[in-house]
Amino acid sequence: MIDQNLHSQNLRRWWHWAILATLVFVVLFVPIPAGAAAPTERTFRIEASRFQYSPAILEVNPGDMVTIELVATDVVHGLSIDGYDLETMADPGKTASITFTADRQGSFHFHCTTTCGNIHPFMTGKLEVGRNTLLWRAIALVGLAMFAGAWKGRK
Amino acid sequence: MTRLQESLWVEEAATKSTLSGSSERYTIPSRVNLYRIPWLRAMLESRWPQFLARAVTLIGFVFTLAAALFGSRVGNHNFAIIMVWIAWWTTLKLGFIPFGGRSWCSICPIPLPGDWLQQGGILDKGSHKNGFNLRWPKSLRGSWLQSGGFLLIGLFSAVTLTDPQVTGWVLLALFALAVGMSLVFEHRAFCSYICPIGGFSGMYAKAAPMEVRVVDKEICANHRDKSCYHACPWGLYPLAMKDSSACGLCMECLRACPKDNLALNLRPYGSDLGGHISSSRLDETFLALTMLGSALAFSAVFVGPWGWLKLSAFEIGSQPWVAYATGFLALNLLFLPALFSLCVWSWKKISQNRLPLKRLVASHAQGLLPLGLMSWIAFTISFALPKLTLVLGVLNDPFGWGWHILNATNTSRSLDVSGFSPLLQVILLMIGIFWSTRVTMKLSKSDGKHNFPSNMPVLVFYLVYSIGMLWLLIG
Amino acid sequence: MIKEWLARGVIILGLAMVISIPAANLWQQSQGIVMHARMAETGGWTPENLTIAVGKPLHLRLTSDDVTHGFAVGQLDQPAVDINPGEMSDITLVFSKPGKYTFYCTRWCSVNHWRMRGTIEVTGPIDKAEPAKSPLYVRLGLNIDADHKASLTPLQLPSAWRGALLNQNIPETYKSHDYYLSHTPLDLWLALSSEPVLKKLSDQDVWDLAAWVWQSNTTPEEVQAGKQLFTANCAACHGESGAGNGVFADQLAVGSGNKALNQTMGEQTQCPANFTDALRMLSASPAHLQGKIIRGGMGTGMPSWGAIFTEDQTWALVAYLWTFQFQIEVYP
Repeated sequence: MIDQNLHSQNLRRWWHWAILATLVFVVLFVPIPAGAAAPTERTFRIEASRFQYSPAILEVNPGDMVTIELVATDVVHGLSIDGYDLETMADPGKTASITFTADRQGSFHFHCTTTCGNIHPFMTGKLEVGRNTLLWRAIALVGLAMFAGAWKGRK
Repeated sequence: MTRLQESLWVEEAATKSTLSGSSERYTIPSRVNLYRIPWLRAMLESRWPQFLARAVTLIGFVFTLAAALFGSRVGNHNFAIIMVWIAWWTTLKLGFIPFGGRSWCSICPIPLPGDWLQQGGILDKGSHKNGFNLRWPKSLRGSWLQSGGFLLIGLFSAVTLTDPQVTGWVLLALFALAVGMSLVFEHRAFCSYICPIGGFSGMYAKAAPMEVRVVDKEICANHRDKSCYHACPWGLYPLAMKDSSACGLCMECLRACPKDNLALNLRPYGSDLGGHISSSRLDETFLALTMLGSALAFSAVFVGPWGWLKLSAFEIGSQPWVAYATGFLALNLLFLPALFSLCVWSWKKISQNRLPLKRLVASHAQGLLPLGLMSWIAFTISFALPKLTLVLGVLNDPFGWGWHILNATNTSRSLDVSGFSPLLQVILLMIGIFWSTRVTMKLSKSDGKHNFPSNMPVLVFYLVYSIGMLWLLIG
Repeated sequence: MIKEWLARGVIILGLAMVISIPAANLWQQSQGIVMHARMAETGGWTPENLTIAVGKPLHLRLTSDDVTHGFAVGQLDQPAVDINPGEMSDITLVFSKPGKYTFYCTRWCSVNHWRMRGTIEVTGPIDKAEPAKSPLYVRLGLNIDADHKASLTPLQLPSAWRGALLNQNIPETYKSHDYYLSHTPLDLWLALSSEPVLKKLSDQDVWDLAAWVWQSNTTPEEVQAGKQLFTANCAACHGESGAGNGVFADQLAVGSGNKALNQTMGEQTQCPANFTDALRMLSASPAHLQGKIIRGGMGTGMPSWGAIFTEDQTWALVAYLWTFQFQIEVYP
C-alpha cells in the first residue's frame, strides 16, 4: 500500500521535471524571427581616453560590414572584441582601423588591450549585433524558474 | 514529516529510514559524515595537513604584501592584485563558499599569528587564553560592522582593486588589526565581527553543503567536560549551533571530542534555510541586502560599458565620486531595504500574519541568500574569469621586475569567455531564483497562511533583481 | 615539542625565503640602472640624467609605471625601444662621440609627452673642437616668429605631376637646392610669373610648376621618411590631416579652459599650426619651417626638436609638410 503511494508520487515528480525541462528547452531554442534589416556598411569613429570609449555602445545589424576607427586621445589604447577575435592598437595621432563582418548575433563586449592606467582592466564597451535574444530568453527562463520554484514548494 | 523531507534531494533517504523503522532518532539520514571516511579522517585528525595549507597561505600572504608594497605599480602585472582580486576571489566565490561554506576561514592567513599567540603555540594545542581576553562588546555583536566594512570596500573598490600599494596597505591594516584584536579580545573577534569576507561567507554558509554538527545530542547531555567548547578558537559550543554561519570549519572540536560525537557533514544545499523564525536576525537581513545591492553596483561599474560611471568610482574625492558614493550607499542603505521591507509587508498584509514586521523581514532574509550567492558567482564569472590568464604572467614575474620564473612569454591577452559565460550566468541565476523561491515558500508556510499569491511581492522582488543582474551581465 | 618547533621552523623558513629573494633581487637591481618611465605630469624619467664614458656600454633596464612609453636617444642611429607597463625592456647603448645627448619618449603618453626628456653626458677626450653649425634660418637672418601671410593663393591645390606635364623650361636658378631652401613657394610663383618665357601660362599653371620644382627638390624616400616622422611625432597635435586639429589641439588652444596645464608649465600654449592653410604655408620657406621645428615655439607648446632629429630628418619632415599644399606623391 505504502509502496504504491510512493510509486505514484515518484511518477508525478518525474512528470513535473519533464515538463519543466521541455519548457526550458522550448524557451531556449524557439527561433525568434530576425529583424528584416538588410546588411549595410557602417563606420564608427571611437575616441578612446582614460578610461572610456566614446561611443561605448555600438549597434549594428547582423551581416553589416563594420569599420571601427580607433582614435586614441591621450595615451596608447587598444581594442579587442570578445567573440570576434579582433584586436588593434592606436597611438595618439595614428588612427587605427579594423573592418569585419558582424555575422555573430548577440551582445559582445570589447575592451582595451594596452595598459593605459589603473582602470585599464575595466575599460570596456559593448557591440550589439542585432537583437539580444539571449537576454530575452534568459528573462523568460528566470521567470520560469521562479514559477517552478513556487510550484515545487506549494505543498 | 520533518522539513527535511521537503528537500527533493533527501526525500528518498528520509522515507527509507522511516520505513525501516530506525530507532536512531538523532541520526540524520541525509547527512554524510566525512569524518567517518578513514583517509579523510586521518587528514583532518592530524594537525599537519591543515598546518601545511595554512603555512602556504601565510607565506603566500607575506609574499603578496611584499609584491604589493615593493613591486610594480602597474596593477595587472603585480602578483598582489592578480592573486588577491582575481585568483583568490575566484576560488572563494566559485569554490570555497558554494562547496564548503565558511571553509576559507579554516586556512585564512590573516588571523593566524594572532591565533598562535593566543594559544601559545602553532601545533601544540594550548587553550586560547593568552592576551587580555576581553569579551567583545554586546552592542557591537552581529554582522553590522561586517556589512559596514563591505560597503566601505565598495566605495573605494575602483582604487583598491587596481592600485597595488593601496591593496598592500589595506591588507597590512587588516593583518595588524587581526593580530591586535587577538591579543585584546577573546577568541576570533576579528573573524567573527570585523572581517567582511567572514561576514558574507558565514551568511552564505547557511546555504552551503558542508557543516560541523553534533551526532548524538544525548551523549553531549551527559558529558560534563565540554572539551569541544574549550577547543574552539571561535568560542562556539557545537551542541548549541543552530546554523553554520559562525563556524570557521577549523576542525578543532572534532579533534577534541573524546566521544567522537562530532561530525563533518556533507548535507543538502540550503539545509539551514527556511527554518525557525528566531534563528534569523535583522543584521543578517541587512548584510544579505547589502550583498545583493553591491553585486548590482559592482556589475554596473566593472562589467558595464559606462566609462563615466567607472571614472566617478575611481576619482575619489571628486564631485562625481561623491555622487557615486551617495548613490551606492542609498542603494544599499535605503532603496533595497525599503523595497524588500515593502514586499514583506505586502505579504504580511495579504496573508494576515500577526507577527511584527521586523521579525518577518528578518526571517524572510533567508530567501535572499541563494539568489545572492548565485548572483555573486555570476558576477565573478564576468569580472574575474577573463583575467585568469594574467595569473600565469604574475607567477612568472610577480614584482614586474622582468623575472622569468616559469620561462613563460608574458601574455596579457584576456580569456574570451563570451562563448560560454552568458549561458552559465543564466543557469546560475535560474538556480538562484528557483532556490530562493523555494525557501520563501517554505518560510511562508511556517509563518502563516501559505498561498502562492501572497508570496508574489517577495517573488517579484527576486524576479526584478534577477532581471537587473541579467541585463548588466549579458545585456 | 619537536613537532611544535618543526612547525615553527617551516613558517620561519618560508617567510625568510619569501622576503629574502625579492630583497636580494632588489639589491641586485640597484647595482644596475633601472629607468622608470612615467607620464611627464607625474615625474617623467627617473633617473633623468645619466653619465657614461665614450666607448663604454651603457646597460639600461626600462620599465613603465603607468602607460606605454618608448625610449630613444636623439641623433643616434638606434631604433627606439618600447617600454610596456609592468614589463622590463633592455637596451645597451654605446657612444662613439663624447657630448651631451638627449633621450626622449617615443610613444605619446599625454599632451606633455614631448617634455619627457633626459640627458646622457658622454665623457671623453674631445679631439677637435667642431664649431657648431648654426641653423640655416639663422644664417639667412630669418625672423621665424614674424607674422607672414601670402598675398595670393592658388584656387586649386597645385599638383606636381601637372607641372611636370607642362614641360616648360624653367631657369636654372629657380631649380637649385639653395633656392628651394631659402625661398617661399610664393617667391617662386612671383618669380616664375614674371618670366617672359612663361608669360602665356595661367596662374594655376604657374602654381603647378612651382609645385613641380618643389617636388624635384625632394625624393620619394625623403617624403616617406617625413611622413613616418610626422605620424609618430606631430600628428597628435597637428592632426593626421595636418589641419591643426590633432587630439591634443583642444588642450593647447589658448583660453581653452585648461588653465591648470598652462599654470604648471608656465606658458601660454596655442592652437597647433594648420599646414593646410595656404596663406601661412605658401609664405614660408623650407628654412623657416625647419627653423620652427628645430627651435620650437617659444612657449606656444611646439616642442624643440633640435636635439632629437638629425638634420636630414628635419628636411624630410619639411618635405612631407609640402604635401599638404601640393599634390606630391607620398608612398605609404
